[in-house]
Amino acid sequence: MNLWFGFLVGLKEIWSHKFRSFLTMLGIILGVASLLSMFSLTAGMANGMRQYMQQVGGIERVGVIPQEPPTDQEGFAEISPGRTIADAEAIARSATLVSAVTPISELAAATVSFGSQYFRTPAYGVWPDYVPINSHEISRGRSLTWLDVESAQNVCVIGQRVTQRLWPDRPRFNPVGESILINGRPFKVVGEFTFYETEWDRRQRELSTKSAAPARTKRPTKGSSSSGRGYSAFERKNSTVILPITAMFYNFKMANVVKNEDQGPQLKLDALTIQVADIARFDQALEQVRTILEATHRGIEDFTFDTRQEWFDSIEQGIRNTRLSGGIIAGISLLVGGIGITNIMLASITERIREIGVRRAVGAKGRDIFIQILVESAVIGLIGGFLGLIASFGIMRILVLISPTENAPVLQWENVILSFSFAVIIGLLSGIYPALKASKLDPIEALRYG
Amino acid sequence: MPIIELTDVFKRYRVGEQEIVALNGINLSIDQGEYAAIIGPSGSGKSTLMHLLGCLDTPTSGRVLIQGNDVSTADANRLSEMRNSHIGFVFQSFNLLPKLSVLQNVELPMIYAGVSSRERRERALASIERVGLADRAGNTPLQLSGGQMQRVAIARALVNSPRIIFADEPTGNLDSKTGAAILALFRELSQQGSTIVLVTHDDKIAAQTPRRIEIKDGRIVQDFFNPDADLPGTARPLTPQPTPTS
Repeated sequence: MNLWFGFLVGLKEIWSHKFRSFLTMLGIILGVASLLSMFSLTAGMANGMRQYMQQVGGIERVGVIPQEPPTDQEGFAEISPGRTIADAEAIARSATLVSAVTPISELAAATVSFGSQYFRTPAYGVWPDYVPINSHEISRGRSLTWLDVESAQNVCVIGQRVTQRLWPDRPRFNPVGESILINGRPFKVVGEFTFYETEWDRRQRELSTKSAAPARTKRPTKGSSSSGRGYSAFERKNSTVILPITAMFYNFKMANVVKNEDQGPQLKLDALTIQVADIARFDQALEQVRTILEATHRGIEDFTFDTRQEWFDSIEQGIRNTRLSGGIIAGISLLVGGIGITNIMLASITERIREIGVRRAVGAKGRDIFIQILVESAVIGLIGGFLGLIASFGIMRILVLISPTENAPVLQWENVILSFSFAVIIGLLSGIYPALKASKLDPIEALRYG
Repeated sequence: MPIIELTDVFKRYRVGEQEIVALNGINLSIDQGEYAAIIGPSGSGKSTLMHLLGCLDTPTSGRVLIQGNDVSTADANRLSEMRNSHIGFVFQSFNLLPKLSVLQNVELPMIYAGVSSRERRERALASIERVGLADRAGNTPLQLSGGQMQRVAIARALVNSPRIIFADEPTGNLDSKTGAAILALFRELSQQGSTIVLVTHDDKIAAQTPRRIEIKDGRIVQDFFNPDADLPGTARPLTPQPTPTS
């Protein structure tokens, strides 16, 4: 008896007990559906996380942050000037393993206004390298230039959320060339960043504008984006205002009034960010920067590095853990489905003892019976797995509908194949015991039965 | 030339502490083309004897030769092969598979013989025609009468051109008229050269076969040519039986 024939016999047997077979398959269907949905969800999460990581500048972006100097340096720690423009200049000059560096002096809550519209958002005084380090892209106008920095021009580049807030009635308004006020000082907008959003949001927006286009005129992108709800990395990025660090110093940092007393110019940096040229030489690059900064800080170790290695690692680890635990839970439900198959196959054998006897009498070997039963349960697994795949597409659609997160499920072919083959393997495994039992039946006893 | 040869065959079962002797020393030889009836009351061992002859079972001791093949010590797979190629069964309760069509039921033995599907179909149809059911090939067994079902079973038994056909109470579930028709079919097959061994407890049926082998308490007590049967047969003396063990 060949396998193909066994397959047909199995199909026939399943078809002749449609309802029972369906109930049996249900375990497998749900198992496969939950397994695949789970894989797709975690893949979506991982995707969202990676997009996020990329948006915040990737692992190459390293911040230089202050720390308490070691105790043996406490007494003379003041000799360090702290983080200054000189640090950035020294790094730019000497750190060969660093591809970009920017000093940052910020206004944590600047009031940006145009006419009667105003918007509170952080403003950063930076070098032009700020743009590539933070994965910013210019969509209109130009970026900051060294000329802007050297001549301390009152110019700025703003994110699209800022444009939307300042010109709320004019969708897709081009702010380049307009003059806005930052904390009361006039700045000319020379450029605008692109609108940052997740893949998912972008697709949603394109879909809604496409379908809405014939009905109404263009709607502002603001209302149609779900990321307007949360304060995400994307939102923060879209609200960015950058200006030359020199302009920042001259306009806002020359005086620092605390308790009615001027503390003098505030020219220390709020942040110092570098971009490592080659991830493969990450540690060497940091060592190089450390050496340079030890010189500019006069040997005081009042700085350290804020790398995202650990953070990213923990995110990846989290994704892996979710995937694993979800996989185990879904696997358990598949296993339960498999036990269901075993149970039904045992019942079905008892029902067919006489049939097995007849087959043995006309010359079937134990092996033939074994294959027949095994193929039958494998076919249940096969069909169940296939229906499960279809069901999981449905489940994912429902999940997307009830929770339009940025982490839309992502269907990956290897996961489809993995879930499906898992179902077939479960089908095969759960058939082994019943098949063995059936093949061991004594033909005489079997013929006499019932 | 004997197609079946049994020498000093014993079959004992152990049920709990008790040992049951089902066949208590059997010597038997059946020639090619013979039409024989094994008759005996229930519990006489005739079913056990048929299981041995039909390669469904092996004896505790003694030798069983089917077509010159010693099957007394054969393993299960060898017995399956023997049944498949040498033996056709006809049962009292027909034992057709209800979900398969008549054609598929008749094809069944050939599936396990590895016959190609086209040849299977041809041979099955020929066999169905031989028992006079050509127009019923597509029906399922449940749509047939008892006599028709038994014909299908006979067609199935014939399809692998076996050397021997064993019929276990083939008319037991049929009324006397249909039963007579089935027996007529056996007679016809016998005239065409098939070796047929019929197992029954019914004297009237045994009276229609040329040879009558009577078994009682696991022993052959009578084995003779039946002069009343209008079929050719060989008169023979009772084969010397071995000494019983108990």
